[in-house]
Amino acid sequence: MMALSFRLELRRSRILGVGLAVVVLVYGGVMAVFYPILVANTAAITDYIKLFPKEFMAAFGMTGSLADPGIFFSTYIGSFLWPVVAAIAGIALATRPTAADAERGWSDLPLATPLTRGRYLGAAILGQVVVLGALAFVTVAGVISVGALVGAGFDVARFLAAGAVLWLFACAIAGVASLAAVITLSRSVSASITAGILIAMYLFNIVAQVQPDLAWLGDLSAFRYAGVGPLIDSGIADWVGIGVFSLVALAGWTASLVLFRRRDLLP
Amino acid sequence: MLDIRWSVRIAQVPADRRCCMPEAIELHSLTRWYGKRRGVIDLEADVHEGEVFGFLGPNGAGKTTTIRMLLGLIRPSGGSARILGLDPWTQAPAVHRRLAHLGSDPGYLGDLEAATLLDHLGALRGLPRGAWQSLAERLDLDPRVPVKKLSRGNRQKVGVVSVFMGREPLLVMDEPSTGLDPLMQREFLALVAEARADGRTVFLSSHNLPEVERACDRVAIIREGRLVKIASVAALVGDHTRSVNLVLERPAAEGAFALPGVTVLSSTGQDVHLMVRGDINPLLRHLGELDVRDIAISTPDVEDLFFRYYEGTVAGSEGRAAAAGGPGIHVEAAP
Repeated sequence: MMALSFRLELRRSRILGVGLAVVVLVYGGVMAVFYPILVANTAAITDYIKLFPKEFMAAFGMTGSLADPGIFFSTYIGSFLWPVVAAIAGIALATRPTAADAERGWSDLPLATPLTRGRYLGAAILGQVVVLGALAFVTVAGVISVGALVGAGFDVARFLAAGAVLWLFACAIAGVASLAAVITLSRSVSASITAGILIAMYLFNIVAQVQPDLAWLGDLSAFRYAGVGPLIDSGIADWVGIGVFSLVALAGWTASLVLFRRRDLLP
Repeated sequence: MLDIRWSVRIAQVPADRRCCMPEAIELHSLTRWYGKRRGVIDLEADVHEGEVFGFLGPNGAGKTTTIRMLLGLIRPSGGSARILGLDPWTQAPAVHRRLAHLGSDPGYLGDLEAATLLDHLGALRGLPRGAWQSLAERLDLDPRVPVKKLSRGNRQKVGVVSVFMGREPLLVMDEPSTGLDPLMQREFLALVAEARADGRTVFLSSHNLPEVERACDRVAIIREGRLVKIASVAALVGDHTRSVNLVLERPAAEGAFALPGVTVLSSTGQDVHLMVRGDINPLLRHLGELDVRDIAISTPDVEDLFFRYYEGTVAGSEGRAAAAGGPGIHVEAAP
């Protein structure tokens, strides 16, 4: 029964998943096309970037040369495209099985069959894991594939490892959104809560970079742990970040499951 | 007036057969509050196995709240519910293996074809693929159309097919025939009759009074969260009451029908609808003093009785007690 529910979850995620996959594939591919141009004009671009405050650029992931594959990927994908895609996908998928389906009256139907609440939500969470993983993979695969065509020389293994970090970041968003959805049973409220937390953390990260006095704010931000530049350039993984994302995702989903099994499902 | 001899009118289960059956649904002081807002209060009812039980009330009376507690989707604030001896909250999967449910306005996944949707719901209930096919043909439902392109009536057919396609012993339906055309309503009632003939229990929440009268063995009337009457349909319509429709030459004066046992159900000037309980002679004598253009006297149908329990201007003692929210419940034994 859980497999049936999981299959339906994947089926329902097709349009969103394929739509976002096309976006990340096209965007990542176009950026990869530009990479050799950035490398060929490193000096000019570095001079240009120096026009901006260092802290300000750091807030957007530019802490070195854009000719470095890690800084390049972190700037254009990790700090710009992926947070938006992960937020859209994570929130949309995680608020659907509980809040949105309760609001539309769909969840009453499977939940009035022998399918337990735990299996119903468990199947949905599994669907989120798979779809977010596929999106992260496509994001990285687009950059790697086009990079290979234009001779960018990206390290495939390190890019794939960066994709795993992107995936965990999205899972953390989904975990929080899932918990908010189970608590509120309202898609708009739970999506607003999750998006609000993300925006606040994004601002924390920027403020922490620009204002050294408020550097501690950065520790409260998920974006502080989302940088994959060192991982791609030096092979150094940020295990704290990986641990934080994994913990938040698992805690959010587990709490969702526990609460969903116990709470009233109001119409 | 309804024709109670209608073709799908359901025969009564013999009393000697019923006495040995376990209860399909038991409600004991079942209460649900939403904060300070009333859901249902102190519901006491038993639904016998094999009977068709109507649950009557207008929107907001507490019908859906009761059904959600029966399905284990919400917890009671007080009291208890049992489905075939099981607790629907703590033993939900076991309960769900024994019932099929149709909600009042199911939020189907519009992108799915009706066939895919029915196969999915059927598979969750352990039914083989295509278990819905004969019913879809019977109800003239095109299963290849995405649900979002179906009309309201056809979407309702999907629900009807879904609830009847299995073999569960208990069917719980919340306003199941809403949106169905008269032909399909007749087919729906036939399906209910067949389910009952198979020994299945049907809990039918509705505000479609003719449907309840035609389909149900017993009826519970719920008013503002409280049960005000449980009785067999036969007892309800045959308790020495008469429905009197008058057309007067001139509008009647205020209080013109303030007679013992007489309740004014509606009065729009010259058209007056009365319910008379007990001796009808005082009314007939009184009518002699009025200018009556036309008169029709009949046995009341469930609709009349429903309004008797619902109107604020109830004359009967049961109605007054119910209106006051007091212990006005009137329970009659099943035949």
